[in-house]
Amino acid sequence: MQSLTITGVTKTFETPKKGIFTAVDNVSITIEEGKIHGLLGPNGAGKSTLISMISGILKPTSGTISILGVDVVAETEAAKKLLGIVPQEIVAEVAFTVEEVLYYFSGMYGVSEADRRVRIREVLRELDLEDKMHERARFLSGGMKRRLMIAKAILHRPKFLILDEPTAGVDVSLRQKIWAMVRRLNAEGTTILFTTHYLEEAENLCESITLIDHGKVIKDGNLKDIQQEFSKNIIHFELFDRSATHLAGVQETGNAYEYPMTALGEDMAKLTAHYGDNLKSIRSEAASLEDVFLKLTNSGV
Amino acid sequence: MMTGMWALYAREVKRFQKILLDTVFSPLVSVLMYLGVFGVVAGSRTIGEGPHALPYITFVYVGLLGMMMVNSSFSNPSFALIIAKNVGNIIDLQLVPIKAWKVGIAYACAALTRGLFTLVVAILATAWFIPGLGIHSFVYLILALVLTGLEFGMLGVTFGFWAKNFEALTFMTTFIMQPMIFLAGVFFPIATLPAPWATISQFNPIHHNINLLRYAVTGYSDTNPIVSLGVVVGMSVVLFGIMQVVTRKNLRV
Ligand SMILES: Nc1ncnc2c1ncn2[C@@H]1O[C@H](COP(=O)(O)OP(=O)(O)O)[C@@H](O)[C@H]1O
Ligand SMILES: [Mg+2]
Repeated sequence: MQSLTITGVTKTFETPKKGIFTAVDNVSITIEEGKIHGLLGPNGAGKSTLISMISGILKPTSGTISILGVDVVAETEAAKKLLGIVPQEIVAEVAFTVEEVLYYFSGMYGVSEADRRVRIREVLRELDLEDKMHERARFLSGGMKRRLMIAKAILHRPKFLILDEPTAGVDVSLRQKIWAMVRRLNAEGTTILFTTHYLEEAENLCESITLIDHGKVIKDGNLKDIQQEFSKNIIHFELFDRSATHLAGVQETGNAYEYPMTALGEDMAKLTAHYGDNLKSIRSEAASLEDVFLKLTNSGV
Repeated sequence: MMTGMWALYAREVKRFQKILLDTVFSPLVSVLMYLGVFGVVAGSRTIGEGPHALPYITFVYVGLLGMMMVNSSFSNPSFALIIAKNVGNIIDLQLVPIKAWKVGIAYACAALTRGLFTLVVAILATAWFIPGLGIHSFVYLILALVLTGLEFGMLGVTFGFWAKNFEALTFMTTFIMQPMIFLAGVFFPIATLPAPWATISQFNPIHHNINLLRYAVTGYSDTNPIVSLGVVVGMSVVLFGIMQVVTRKNLRV
């Protein structure tokens, strides 16, 4: 089943200076249940605008969005129940402690009082915030506020979790912690969509990605396939016996060799047949997302 | 679903419990100040004569309680929402799976709770020196308090969404609410007002909240309490309609 279906969604804003501005332009994306999907694009690409529409807090100018078959505009409360959202902008409650923020917020999703008490402790422990439980939320550091927002989004155990740049401006250890948590939630069956402009993060976590730029989808699909498609068309290999006779086209690069690839499977077979047991290693070079991005956009990220 | 709305109500009650001193203390001080002034002026004057005469100080006292109910239930949601908008955590209300009108009602019920709480504390602190206090009609008392709290709670919700900042709130309370309260018959029977004002006061909705409460407590009324009840119910229905539109517009797409 599709967890998220976005069909032809466009969002335009009327701005005093630029007139009508299209922030999201005819975007269609589907995400299967159980996936970790990355939404990637440079600043201003339209990621947060798209997420606001998925969250049901911004109305698409045209197009439809549904979560597990529930339309976010027509059945907004039903859709919201399925969603957990970590917005990009950090907001903190003025008056309440960390525990109170979580207690009331998850209560608003209908989590029972007993469950709330247990889950708040669990989640705060996982996010290393347990000792801040009784402190006023607004006095937390930036990283802690970010964790509190993540905690808010997961206490009601949403089927679909959306994180908008969860690791922007957080230190390395917290980033690792967030990644671990995302993986755990995914392993337990939560479908995840997150935005980032750290390509390395997407390579680390996602199975599938959507690249957007200037509000338009410029690439969409399985991460490995995309990397393959943009790979440099070179097969690298190493040999035990370097005195072997070479196939035409093979070039020596330091200790290893390169072969220009036309079709991965055939070329691999050809090389394996020729060198046989003499092959120490062989691989095709996958493109990094960065390469993909640089090729698809003029700007890079 | 009830629970989500209930949690929001509980959150808003918790919010005013955190500022208990503000919640209780400032209204109490203002009631005491008014009582001091009017106590001196009133002396032993009464409204009406004979065994059913109502001490003037008692007349004013119940009016002040009504004013307190109006003010606290209006300010509670309007403050909370203006802060939420300025801080940015209004997004919480946009994200949660609670229907917009239920969000509004949760805030209005919290406003009612705050109003009642403030009132009870004020009564406990001051009622002992007010002569001849009792309950004339228990049913009217409940209706007057609950409807007034909800009515001005809903007005506060509507205004809280509408107002951009605290200046707008100050303007509303100083230039609209206060004059209306003063012309509502809090301090003197509206019949004693000079010619056009007596009639104008009949069209002042707050007059009917005050009148209803005063009738419930003392049995005295400036206007037929049935009429006042009708106006208060009518205002509540209208404000519910407006609040529903405003909350939906602000919280839902
Ligand atoms: N409410 C709005 N009014 C006008 N323009 C907006 C509004 N929200 C976003 N934009 C514009 O839409 C574009 C996309 O913004 P955003 O979705 O925040 O990008 P991203 O999250 O990918 O960095 C930006 O150019 C931004 O200025
Ligand atoms: Mg963004």
